[in-house]
Amino acid sequence: MSDTLSYLLMAWSDPQLLMLTALGTFAGIYIGAIPGLSVTMAVSILVSFTFSWDVNDALALIVGIFIGGVYGGSRSAILLNIPGAPSSVATAFDGYPLAQQGEAGRAIGLSTVMSVVGGIVGTIMLASAAPLIGELALRFAPRDYFLVAAIGLLLVGSLAEGSLAKGIFAAGLGAVIGLVGMDPVTAQGRFTLGQVELMGGIHYVVLMIGLFGVAEAFYQLHNLDSPVVRQKVDKILPSFAMVLKFLPLSIRTSIIGVIVGVLPGVGGDIAALMAYDHAKRTVKNPSRPFGKGAYEGLVAPETANSAAVGGAYVPMLTLGMPGDAVTAVIIGALVVHGLNPGPMLMVENPHIFYFTVGNLLLANVFLMIFGLMGIKLFAKFVEMPKAVLIPLILVLCVVGTYSINSSMTEVYWMLGFGVLGYLLKIFGFQMGPIILGAILGPLMDTSYRQAMSSAGDNPVELLQGLVTSPLSLILSAAVVLILLGNTPLLKKLKSKLSPASARG
Amino acid sequence: MFKSLLTGAALGLSALTMALPAHAEYPERSIQAVIPWGAGGATDNVMRSLTPYVEKELGGKFILNNRPGGTAVIGSTHVMQQRPNGYTVLLGAENPQLYKVLKLADFDYADFYPVNIIGQNVVVIAANADAPFNNMAELMAAAKANPDTLRMGSTGAGGLPSTVSAMINAVDELKVREVTFGGDGPGITALMGKHIDFMPLSLAAARELVRSGKLKALAVFATEETPELPGVEPITKSLPAIAEYLPWGPFWGAFVHKDTPDDVKQKLVDAYAKAVANPEFQGFLKNFGAQSLNLNGAEAEEFLKRWQSVTTWSMYKAKAIEISPDSVGIAKP
Repeated sequence: MSDTLSYLLMAWSDPQLLMLTALGTFAGIYIGAIPGLSVTMAVSILVSFTFSWDVNDALALIVGIFIGGVYGGSRSAILLNIPGAPSSVATAFDGYPLAQQGEAGRAIGLSTVMSVVGGIVGTIMLASAAPLIGELALRFAPRDYFLVAAIGLLLVGSLAEGSLAKGIFAAGLGAVIGLVGMDPVTAQGRFTLGQVELMGGIHYVVLMIGLFGVAEAFYQLHNLDSPVVRQKVDKILPSFAMVLKFLPLSIRTSIIGVIVGVLPGVGGDIAALMAYDHAKRTVKNPSRPFGKGAYEGLVAPETANSAAVGGAYVPMLTLGMPGDAVTAVIIGALVVHGLNPGPMLMVENPHIFYFTVGNLLLANVFLMIFGLMGIKLFAKFVEMPKAVLIPLILVLCVVGTYSINSSMTEVYWMLGFGVLGYLLKIFGFQMGPIILGAILGPLMDTSYRQAMSSAGDNPVELLQGLVTSPLSLILSAAVVLILLGNTPLLKKLKSKLSPASARG
Repeated sequence: MFKSLLTGAALGLSALTMALPAHAEYPERSIQAVIPWGAGGATDNVMRSLTPYVEKELGGKFILNNRPGGTAVIGSTHVMQQRPNGYTVLLGAENPQLYKVLKLADFDYADFYPVNIIGQNVVVIAANADAPFNNMAELMAAAKANPDTLRMGSTGAGGLPSTVSAMINAVDELKVREVTFGGDGPGITALMGKHIDFMPLSLAAARELVRSGKLKALAVFATEETPELPGVEPITKSLPAIAEYLPWGPFWGAFVHKDTPDDVKQKLVDAYAKAVANPEFQGFLKNFGAQSLNLNGAEAEEFLKRWQSVTTWSMYKAKAIEISPDSVGIAKP
């Protein structure tokens, strides 16, 4: 027990580890805020950089960057309507409208506090129930991943503002873009037009930077001369009462974050969108309508994507399996450092587990400090003249895209998507569903084919599996309920059951 | 006359000495090393561990660059397209040796110069610890009793599992449902969750799970037991005929453009040979569950040729590929 405690407090008591965690968190916030510069990238560079370091030092820096980076994406989402990472796509839905109403400072303050709440809930769940949650992740058969992807795609219903038809079209477009590249089973090219560069597919971050960064920059040219919104920077810290009010919602969305974060192949990006959808469905009286600057719309995705970090660590620490791209790199780092990540890690090197837990908590403390620092200055970004801001955004988009795979081709694609996104925006299409399709389309494709080949290409066997396994049954029921809930069918049914209330 | 000759000779000499160091100083700037697989994968791990030792031997700096995608086609093509001056190195795995027969690309490692074949992975056939079969013979029997019902984890055409199953099918019959995953990781997760029945895996990926008792190893893909997995039978015990393809394993190597100047090639070859032999790196390979090869020159070319020939012809025999290896210039083993 005392061992456990000393491992937990290791990062807190060692000045060097403390400094490295702080440095990582600080750097992570800014890496995360720039579209294209991702946590995965930063961590993989660090792995070779920290090769000769002590393993704890390397892990402390990585944890800091991870926590800071996931949060950092919300900065640019709120201030510029350009999510710094796919996991902050949902943050922009209500964060940017808030900034437009002069509440950028408050939005950043709230998202910081809520990220910390999510991060702490995620860490507590990691610390208290890691083996259990890890076991739950193993229960997910290919058909269950298929159902999760289906549930995810149904989010189009709440992401598509205005026209559902346009939303479905956008998601379909995203899914097709996501399918470009080598067929996962036969290794044949799909939609590659015979180009080698397209064999690897189109990275969805390339798509995201184009659709959100470049398209948004073009779109803002429309109101180049509109007066800048003066930012109110007096009430930045959310009041305690406000945090308390959002606590039930944030706990629910944090749990969504952890569970989605545990599943390999689905991470903080989907968790944040699902949490946003959950908030939209369950919060009856939001502070403002969703999409117009509801605080709830900010709380949900920010708690979920931070909680997903704790979730991603679960399979990594309990099984040696990555929960997402970042933990995959961390596993590599452990291998390089001569530790053997696997189920025996917790037995043979128990300090890694508790050290990570303690370190995650510490990074969240630093996140609170650094996140709330300099908000007033950041809020001024929104007041910056468009003529300065827009070229700056375009430069960042190009640099960010190039840095993903050092590929100029991807930069051209990104610019192409920017133009496409601009045109779609003019015609009232939403960008969110396109990203959703691009992330979930490939997942749905592979998991469907896995499920089908597991069932010996026999659809009857597959359908039987969907209703006989308890987990699949729950997920299937969820798909059906969401579908019913989004169609007039349920309303009709309800009005039949209670004609009195329908009339009233 | 004599004087002018002397000045001429002096001038010539000085020109020579001026020209020599410029060449001798390779590397005079940092070298771009392309890893055609993602960060955190097996190839990435091996290369990131090896590179510091190579840097020490060569006295230069490497910039490691992951360019993943398309079964390493993208990264390998990139290196082929760079100037052949030794400043772009490909740190890859076995995949290009199958590009021609899988029609992924029209080149293979014969179009590169092999600086070093670093090492190879041992392959094990792994199953969930609760599976009803305990060795290869029992697995084969179960598959024959109910053909096309067992589920094998795979990583797609040209991946390790499908190649291994092709080799087994070339000498015997293993009719199973092939479930394709995005990589070892998701496949192993499905194996632990019992969503698939077995999966051929690299020892590096499977060892920790076998050691912890989550998975069990049915056989090692070799002619004798491996010291890392004592008590696990070699596959030849159940399938003696497969011996003609063994030893076989996915490998890692460092490559440069074929037209790189010879002295640069030699410098790289020397540096890599010393770096791979470094006891610390050897320790890493052992801990990683891989075998060191450290081949260069003719030995490396021979290794690459044999690997390609054995693999493609067994795949052809098992009807895993449509085109005959003959038609793309791969001789029979």
